[in-house]
Amino acid sequence: MRLFKKTGNTMHILCFPDEEVEKGEYLLIRDERARKSMIVQVIDIEFANVPGVMEEILRSSGIEEFVEGEDNDPLDVASHILYIQDARLLICKVHGTIVNGELIPESSWLPSRTHSTIRKIPTESLVKLANIEGSLPIMIGETRDSFPLAIDARQLDGRLNIITGKKGTGKSHLSKILALGLVDYGATVVILDLNGEYTNLGYSLDGSKNKYYDKIHVLSPGKTFKVTLYQTNLYVIMRTLVYALGLPGTSAREFRHIWKFLEKTGRLTLHNLGEAIQNWKCNQHVKDALYSRYSALVNSGFFTDNMAEATDFEKLLRRTERNGGGIIVIDLSDTSPSDRQMVVEYVLAKIQEILSQWKIRAVFLFAEEAHLYLKETYWDDIVTRMRHFGLFTTFITNQPNTIHENIYRQADNIFLLNFVNEHDLQIISRAARADAETITSIVRDLPPHHCLLLGKVVKDFPIIVKIKSLDVKTMGQTRFFFTEKERLVPDKITIHEGKDSNL
Amino acid sequence: MLIGQLHYETTPKYSFLQSLRNLGISKRIVELSLNSMHTIKGKIFKVSNEELASFFIEHMDSEDQLPTKDGMLSALIMPLRAIRDGTSIIGIDVSSIKIGVTDVGVIYAVRGAIVLKTNNRYRYIRLGPLPFHITKENIHEVFGELSRDLSLRFNFLSYIDPQIQLCNILEKWLRAYVSHLARRSIILWDGSLTAGTPGNPVSDLSKMLRAARENSNVVMGISKETSLKFIRWGMTDLLNGYKPPYLFEIRSSSFSHTGSLRLLGRIYVAKLAKRGCAFRLDIDKAIPRDEGIVAVEKLIGNETLYQGYPETLRLAHIYSTFTASDVIGIQRLLIKKYGLKLVAHNNMHRTLFGPYGARLGD
Repeated sequence: MRLFKKTGNTMHILCFPDEEVEKGEYLLIRDERARKSMIVQVIDIEFANVPGVMEEILRSSGIEEFVEGEDNDPLDVASHILYIQDARLLICKVHGTIVNGELIPESSWLPSRTHSTIRKIPTESLVKLANIEGSLPIMIGETRDSFPLAIDARQLDGRLNIITGKKGTGKSHLSKILALGLVDYGATVVILDLNGEYTNLGYSLDGSKNKYYDKIHVLSPGKTFKVTLYQTNLYVIMRTLVYALGLPGTSAREFRHIWKFLEKTGRLTLHNLGEAIQNWKCNQHVKDALYSRYSALVNSGFFTDNMAEATDFEKLLRRTERNGGGIIVIDLSDTSPSDRQMVVEYVLAKIQEILSQWKIRAVFLFAEEAHLYLKETYWDDIVTRMRHFGLFTTFITNQPNTIHENIYRQADNIFLLNFVNEHDLQIISRAARADAETITSIVRDLPPHHCLLLGKVVKDFPIIVKIKSLDVKTMGQTRFFFTEKERLVPDKITIHEGKDSNL
Repeated sequence: MLIGQLHYETTPKYSFLQSLRNLGISKRIVELSLNSMHTIKGKIFKVSNEELASFFIEHMDSEDQLPTKDGMLSALIMPLRAIRDGTSIIGIDVSSIKIGVTDVGVIYAVRGAIVLKTNNRYRYIRLGPLPFHITKENIHEVFGELSRDLSLRFNFLSYIDPQIQLCNILEKWLRAYVSHLARRSIILWDGSLTAGTPGNPVSDLSKMLRAARENSNVVMGISKETSLKFIRWGMTDLLNGYKPPYLFEIRSSSFSHTGSLRLLGRIYVAKLAKRGCAFRLDIDKAIPRDEGIVAVEKLIGNETLYQGYPETLRLAHIYSTFTASDVIGIQRLLIKKYGLKLVAHNNMHRTLFGPYGARLGD
């Protein structure tokens, strides 16, 4: 390999046919005289612009079909010509400089074209150099050079993460790896599970209980997850009414009065709330607005007056943390869209309340397709304000346009699976943790089950990794109409039952 | 293997390429190429990209300048009809290029191509690229050996660019082989059938034409550019009113026989296709005029004409011509195999005057 050109932080390197280099790999440009080395990542591979190639192709195209013959080339010049014609140009991005064995974020110097040597850096060396694994490693999978890559759980702590990729590329699978990895280090994880994919995390593939069994708590709204109004303080119910059920300001004010009245008189039940709204002296329109929201609360089945069937979400969170971490799965698969919003609003408001009172230290929230249950206005709140309370969110989506640009910009870590749609790639490329060229060029060609890790988890050295398999039973497999015999026989090997995962 | 040792027995017309191969046509010339290259080991190798670029911009063939009596030509127009009889068509072309300069000489490369059309199929055999390191010390030896092998009276002429001479010698060599091996074919040469020019003695050309005739071949020379004028009119302008295909014969009485220049061909301006261009066409003069015209009619009938130009000759040109990647490939071979030390050729104008002293295009 030979250094050819540097423009900005883009380096062009000539690579010959006998040198195997793939997109995403890192190269070390060593300039002995400068006693420095530059680390670059290959983000694209093109044919080198060899003069005369066009003529050569034109010469042979069309002719080859009707002309046959042979070359008497005693010096085998043809092999040299072909060697030149197959030369490739590696488009690389500069990621730093090594001086005296230390990695510094410098890219302003220029290695010598004539004296520099270029070689591949094994991922193992890069990981050591950048201290990517850290002290709390979560095994993610294998890199292309068969290095088992782990990320540091600390780099998910206090961070905003996005997992995105087109349908069926393994987003849910990866989020399970991350969630279970966090649990291994005692973290409390709440998963907003849209398709009921995480409900069996406590079971191995063979159906037996796994080591996480006691740490997985599945809550199904309206069934195993009901709350009383007493457990739901005014702040939480107001957020639910305003954000989830769209209660207007004037009506909200009246509701506040009603709530306080019932609370004061010790009659805060669902039944009494309905009666109070009907008998409350206020504008009829306000009364109608309040009653319709009340009906929504009742019909959701999420609220109850029966203390015995109610779940104390706060207690559950505190117990989970006390017991060394765990996952609370909010199974939203059987919940209607409007009820979903209500439940999520309740959960988030409750978490915020508990966090703000320092009753628990932090919660890692995994939100799948959050646009389906979170109002747009709420996103910024989660990302900015609630982060400071200790709510660290991971958004999981196959529709990158549903996540706001400012969220991409603030994301600390992005786990990118394959995307080919130009529009999707453009949206993702707004992420601040990597340059747009790296993202669009590498992600487009990611093989199935491979993920491009960006951000703090890889110390800003984008790394491609093949996601590891997981001995966990998953749900949410797409239901097919046309069944095949082999589909009916349980696959003993595959662990890829997840809706989005074929891993 | 010396050409003089070959038995000139004619071969069936469709297997002459095979015969060419079997005779090991390249062995001696390859030896000479390799011997000349042994002198370059470890030398400094200068490559001038500008010089190279100028080669690829446009490399026109130069036509022999024929002296005409009082600047006038006497001519006769002949319409043609295509004869489809399966006659084989053979095109020959050779290319050369300067690869670079060493501290003692110059490295050239040559490549030749023979293309045969028979039974509606094209086949080719290509020789080279063959690099030659020409120095003051070996120049006479190399050219002497080459001409001796060809049984040609080829003398190195110091006032002619060695590159042109190298190209000519390989071209003659291929022409001579084809003339001896092909039978009942139309042989197309790139250029004219004029002899007596420096490095192109009449005897050599006559010998090749005779060999071709003995094998019932007809040799035609096609020049892509013609400067022939008729009463001060350009031939191609003058012929615009006629319906192709036709031949426009220029009577030999029009040319003055001065010096050593000899026309071994009957000269025509030929427009062989409707949308084609007009070319100068020389047909071996020793062949009766009618036979020559029938041969052209067979050419029209049995050959694909691209812009009025025979495809075999076009393909021979394409196969022999060097592209920039060929040159880079050859340079790489030289550096790898002979350990040449590559240095960029200095542009003295640039060195001395920077952007102010550079000529346009420098």
